[in-house]
Amino acid sequence: MFSDYVLFLFATQPRRAKGIFNVLRGRRTVSTLFAGLTYGCLDQLDSWHGVPLEKFIATAAQLERAGDLVSPSPGYYQLTAQGATRQQTQRALRYQPVAMHVFQTTDVRRFAALSQLALQVVSEAAHRENRYYPVTTDPGVQAIVKAWFRRFHGPTLGQTIYEGLQAFLASLPDELAQIFVQSLTGYQFPGQTDAQLATTFKRSPVEMLVIRRDLTCRWIIWLGQHQTDPLWALLAPLVKASPVSSSAQRTFQDFLQAGDLEMISNRRHLKLSTVREHLLEVAILTPDFPFDRLLTKTVSQQLTTIFTHQPVLTSWQFAQVQAVMPQLDFFYFRLFQIMRCQHERG
Amino acid sequence: MNEDELHDLLKQKYGFDHFRAGQLEVIQQLLAGQDVLAVLPTGTGKSLIYQLVGSVVPGLVVVVSPLISLMQDQVARLNYQGEKRVAALTSQLDFGARQHLLNHLQSIKYLFISPEMLSQDAVMTALKLVPLALFVVDEVHCISTWGPDFRPDYRSLGALRADLGQPRTLMLTATATKRVRQDILRQLRVPDAHQILHSVNRPNIYLAVASLSDEAAKRVRLQQLVTTVAGPVIVYFSSKRQTDLIAEWLRDQTGLRVAAYHAGLSTEDRFKIQQQFMAGDLDVICATSAFGMGINKADIRMVIHYHLPTTLADYVQEIGRAGRDGQPSLAVILYVPGDEALVRNLNELTAATPNEIEQDYQRFIRRQEPTDEVSQVLQYYWQHHATVAEVTVLFATRTEAKERELRELLRYVTSTTCRRAVMLSYFDEVAPAHDAACCQLDGEPFPLETLGLIRTVAAVTSQASDWEKALARLFLPNS
Ligand SMILES: [Zn+2]
Repeated sequence: MFSDYVLFLFATQPRRAKGIFNVLRGRRTVSTLFAGLTYGCLDQLDSWHGVPLEKFIATAAQLERAGDLVSPSPGYYQLTAQGATRQQTQRALRYQPVAMHVFQTTDVRRFAALSQLALQVVSEAAHRENRYYPVTTDPGVQAIVKAWFRRFHGPTLGQTIYEGLQAFLASLPDELAQIFVQSLTGYQFPGQTDAQLATTFKRSPVEMLVIRRDLTCRWIIWLGQHQTDPLWALLAPLVKASPVSSSAQRTFQDFLQAGDLEMISNRRHLKLSTVREHLLEVAILTPDFPFDRLLTKTVSQQLTTIFTHQPVLTSWQFAQVQAVMPQLDFFYFRLFQIMRCQHERG
Repeated sequence: MNEDELHDLLKQKYGFDHFRAGQLEVIQQLLAGQDVLAVLPTGTGKSLIYQLVGSVVPGLVVVVSPLISLMQDQVARLNYQGEKRVAALTSQLDFGARQHLLNHLQSIKYLFISPEMLSQDAVMTALKLVPLALFVVDEVHCISTWGPDFRPDYRSLGALRADLGQPRTLMLTATATKRVRQDILRQLRVPDAHQILHSVNRPNIYLAVASLSDEAAKRVRLQQLVTTVAGPVIVYFSSKRQTDLIAEWLRDQTGLRVAAYHAGLSTEDRFKIQQQFMAGDLDVICATSAFGMGINKADIRMVIHYHLPTTLADYVQEIGRAGRDGQPSLAVILYVPGDEALVRNLNELTAATPNEIEQDYQRFIRRQEPTDEVSQVLQYYWQHHATVAEVTVLFATRTEAKERELRELLRYVTSTTCRRAVMLSYFDEVAPAHDAACCQLDGEPFPLETLGLIRTVAAVTSQASDWEKALARLFLPNS
């Protein structure tokens, strides 16, 4: 059930619901990313793309009514004792994805569409069948797969694809391998829908959605490690080196060279605040960010002193800083928070 | 081109020996330069007509179609037949893809398009730059306010067609009463079009209505039908929710291979269910009426309506999916007195009182966004400079037309005399004499045996659970 997966997102400490939900929905504002970092759910960034915020919020409200969540202040939720127990039992019951972090750097949905058609085309070709309904009529997807097929087709392509999939699937638990194969579309094999697979494997439909999504991510990781597989050629253009957006990446490169934020702002015709947002994005998504190039020892020490008795860093208030260091910009406070968070996680 | 040459073309391009009823006549008229309004039953291969004309006449074939799903089905079917120069111009294409398509129209042979898309300036400009072989309006009855499926954006087609230089035009529909046909010709401004009409009667489909006392009895009857009558079966519902619920219930109760199919499914799931059904991997499909528009399965033996269809015209279309192989088939409506309230509710969703129309006009004047679906429809009229008075008359006409459609439908459902006669009279046709294979009269049992429609239990082959074998079957030809 969807509500189980929503319940998994909360802890006994209060968490800002919208922040977490927007991480899953793939919103990349700094405040969302920061929420993802502090709540430890950045690895699920973008993994529930397209699900409306209202649905998450309604589900959280439903969990509250059921007594699993409680709202200590507006917009925040935490687990009740009952919720904590239920979270534990449901965790053991429901499929737990392991590879959703792939969404950060790869256009997973696009690859799912391309690979589904590519495998169909290869399967039909292996049986010398050229009259069939393509699984998608999306002209963009068709054009890319057509070009790919033209490049790789030949008498052994079916065999090569088979061997690749066989090796990948052999590395998975049997249930997952079965689900993967049963969901494929190919020669005289329309494939099973998620709902049908859910019935067959006695899982809930939402769980099957999570499983299939996770399988695609696992496959993407496998292909990344086996770049001689013809399907890597379909995947490669969809993979970014880093989860950081390209504009933020550029700002970061400029910063590494020039170091001065005002200068970057002038040269790139960006507002200073935008330059700072970019750097915060990089800092959140890059564990080894060079924090000391922006935070002087003095500033770090002062901030450390202010929050000595507050180990939970989501409880820190900027007002506390302003009281002691009125001249310090919010940017440095947030950066310091990110640094501490990265260190705790690292 | 003479008749022999057309037969050769049919054989060589599509592998058929004979034209189906009406096809040849329509093609000949079009090739002679005539505009044609063709009323042909579903399953007559309407797309073959414009494909064949398109393969003879140079230029682009533009097919106006009301539904994106219908366009996608047609694109897929043409692709399947080896025709790659096909595209659908829909709101689903992003701006870049749309631009690309418009800049490359000369490399396309068949363009499927919605009326709304066609009315865009950029699209019209691009279309004026390429020669048109044929202008096809599919489901052309949507143009008529008297018809059951009226679509306001179809009303612009007459003007758009004129703007394109009055290309040779083919108007296609499966069902149109005389009044609707006259309206079509007037709206599309083709008074001289040649009309080719074929009977909507499908003599191999046995017509029946089961009058039941309540919802529970309906379910029992449904279960009894799918377990005793030959399949494959389509069961139609008017709501997505019911489709899912009953499909699951039926699967649990009967152990049959049952799937739900409706617009709420992903494109991938819709594809898979369609293909499973085509391949004979499913016994029963529970569907909303969105299903079947593009399905071309010849051996469907039974079509059940769990809820009333909206109109007789829709009903004829939907049962027309049964028995395309010409073999005996069965069409059953499960009716509980009062079911018509559901149709009325659906009708009311798209109705508006004079007061509501006036208020919506005020909204438009204040430049506020449309508030709901009815408001969206009204928006169209306001944008096209219709007056409140005109729109009020139009809506009153629609309400009246819908109420009349419902009365006609109930006349069929509650008939104590030959149902086929009642159905055909609606289309201004005279029915052949009633016999045992025609329809179920009050109190008579189904002549299942005579019709050869008794279910023989087929062994259900279970899916191999060994993934390695399944994978090998997919990619290794000799396994
Ligand atoms: Zn009769």
